[in-house]
Amino acid sequence: MNKQQKTNLRKLGQLFLLLSPLLAISISLSAGSLELSWNKLFTILLHGSGKEIEEVIIWQIRLPRALLAGLVGAALSLSGVTFQAVLRNPLADPYLLGVSGGAALGAVAALTWGFQSPIIIPLAAFVGALTALLLVYLVAQAHTCSSHTLILSGVMVGSLAAALLLFLLWQAPADATRQAIFWLAGNLSLADPDWLSWGWLWVAIGFLLLWSQSLNLDLLTQGEETAADLGLHVGRTRLILFALAGALTACAVALAGLVGFVGLVIPHICRLLWGPGHRLLLPFSALLGSSFLIIADAIARSLYAPAEIPVGVVTAVLGAPFFLYLLRRKGGNL
Amino acid sequence: MIQINNLSFSFATTEIFNDLNFSVTRGEILSIVGPNGCGKSTLLRLLRGSLKAQSGEILWEKIPVGQISSREMARKVAVVPQSSTIQFPYKVRELVAMGRYPHRKNLLSFQDKTDLREIEQALVMTDLLPLAERLITQLSGGELQRVLVARALAQNSSVLFLDEATSHLDIDHRFELTELLVRLNQEEQKTIIQISHDLDLAAAISQRILLLTEHGKIADIGSAKKVMTAANLQRIFRVDVKVESNPFTGTPQIVPLINTSTHQLTGLNIHLICGGGSGTTLMRRLHLAKASVTVGPLNRGDSDEAVATALNMPVAQEIPFSPFSKSTLRAAEQLVEQTDILVITTQWWGAGNLACLDLAVTAIKRGIPVYLLAQHQKQDYTDGKAWGKIQQLQQQGGKSIRNEEHLLDELSHQTT
Repeated sequence: MNKQQKTNLRKLGQLFLLLSPLLAISISLSAGSLELSWNKLFTILLHGSGKEIEEVIIWQIRLPRALLAGLVGAALSLSGVTFQAVLRNPLADPYLLGVSGGAALGAVAALTWGFQSPIIIPLAAFVGALTALLLVYLVAQAHTCSSHTLILSGVMVGSLAAALLLFLLWQAPADATRQAIFWLAGNLSLADPDWLSWGWLWVAIGFLLLWSQSLNLDLLTQGEETAADLGLHVGRTRLILFALAGALTACAVALAGLVGFVGLVIPHICRLLWGPGHRLLLPFSALLGSSFLIIADAIARSLYAPAEIPVGVVTAVLGAPFFLYLLRRKGGNL
Repeated sequence: MIQINNLSFSFATTEIFNDLNFSVTRGEILSIVGPNGCGKSTLLRLLRGSLKAQSGEILWEKIPVGQISSREMARKVAVVPQSSTIQFPYKVRELVAMGRYPHRKNLLSFQDKTDLREIEQALVMTDLLPLAERLITQLSGGELQRVLVARALAQNSSVLFLDEATSHLDIDHRFELTELLVRLNQEEQKTIIQISHDLDLAAAISQRILLLTEHGKIADIGSAKKVMTAANLQRIFRVDVKVESNPFTGTPQIVPLINTSTHQLTGLNIHLICGGGSGTTLMRRLHLAKASVTVGPLNRGDSDEAVATALNMPVAQEIPFSPFSKSTLRAAEQLVEQTDILVITTQWWGAGNLACLDLAVTAIKRGIPVYLLAQHQKQDYTDGKAWGKIQQLQQQGGKSIRNEEHLLDELSHQTT
């Protein structure tokens, strides 16, 4: 393959990526226990919301769900990219710095104390996630905030949250425990549709702010000292990036529980395919992350319909082999 | 241009610099040389304000370094680091482009015409154009080093800091880079401060050389001719060298006097009175020369004791951190009685080891030759008692010897 062909192929791949969320959403809309022909599907979509059963299913059940999956996928991928760059650690994922533990603790605390409201639980998870992140940052900051200290204190805060979580589950009544476990495994059936637009707004703003930090992220991958030598205000930038990535993760976790794998593997796949420059990596990861999770969710819903398998199972089963294939082909340059 | 006044700096409890004073003139090449761990890299970090000094001041054109913003500083100084671990597979061109960061006007990229031209020029100057599209994770150490130089050039600063930038380079690229530095200095009036381990190259291109002692003091500063003297190098690096004038350039050139002579001392019995690491080198050399060595008295845990034990030499041993007891001294005396030659390498004399000199006095009376390695009156902490005994030994035929090499020469003459 010559250079020209290679560039063309790359352009084609990027075009496909740009369109992939649309494709993923159409696949997701047609998946489920109610069989719908593509023809019918497009008629309904063009016709708009209505009273018929198919219309209700498409507009009020499947579309919000696909949009939620897209939102969560994008948020987790974006925050995965950020954490991997800032911590200079290919194993970093959105949950590394205690965010997951904090969110889980918040949500489960709300559940076991009897708040069943679909408004309270995401809020509790959100507050829990941000509290954990703040705690990690404050602990690490006392020691100049090196990435090793951050990771270690993140793991510790995560363990503490996990211990408290187990204690709460042990104390809780049986049905609350069941609900909590369902939430912990990741759950894309949206509790309250009002959250969806707020979530998208949150992710869109988060993306734009992160994107404006692309060059700073590039610099940080070169290590703190080099970044500072090149004129970056390392401490301040890192705080901003943590806050942004943490807010995105917290949003995803609050709306969908702990969906695993996306935040770890999507950034790697994008980096292998399109290089580590964050100007492209951030939007590409967001796109691929949302398409990936939308399709994974469609599979999770339709494989044993009407029962659903946890979406985390699908993300891992789909993602891991593809990642291993890429790793082998590209020779491990993560 | 840069003025360093009364600078003091410590890491936690380790003092690196105390009351350092010097200045850097605009447009000069200043090389910082000194033993490993003397704080050369730390000094560079202090100069550009990455580290904060505990006291003293660093002025950049009369402005304290703390008042210069990090972006402004990056436009003044570009740093070529020692080496860095690269995990993310950027292309060479992308990495070099990062040097434009302090000049960027756009949040997302460096698309400005000036940016692109500077990047291209940096690639050309460092001979990297053929590698521009390669991934940095696939480069060799030397190629990566050149990429880091290119990034610093793209920064287009008036000052360049290099921390052993040539250490990973082949001879051709090392010379190319050195020549590039000289050109940048002469034609663009760039001020260059470099840390270098290649003393010859440093001497060849630097207007001034700053020689640091291992305790972070200025041993000497000035022209290569003034600083690169055999005496200075002997004092700071503890090496025997000869400094000659390069026949082509006239700059000082260091000729190492690595001794390749061989010594065979098979069958010779030598007793060593040492301590605190003063005998380590000699023990190693004697071991290689196959002499039969006995040692002592020594406290257990003394670094010399550890070496002697490891080399299987009989040691008259005392318990740790205690003055030598009668029985230990007796044991040492027995070892001395059986030896052909007694060597004293101990450097510091105090109440605890004064009795060792009595062993030597007894030995010399018995006719055993005694050698004294580099003794100084300053290192006597017994109000002159030790120095008195050393003088007595010298009067009775004890020979003073400058270093281990001379001693081995002397001993091998005796055996043949």
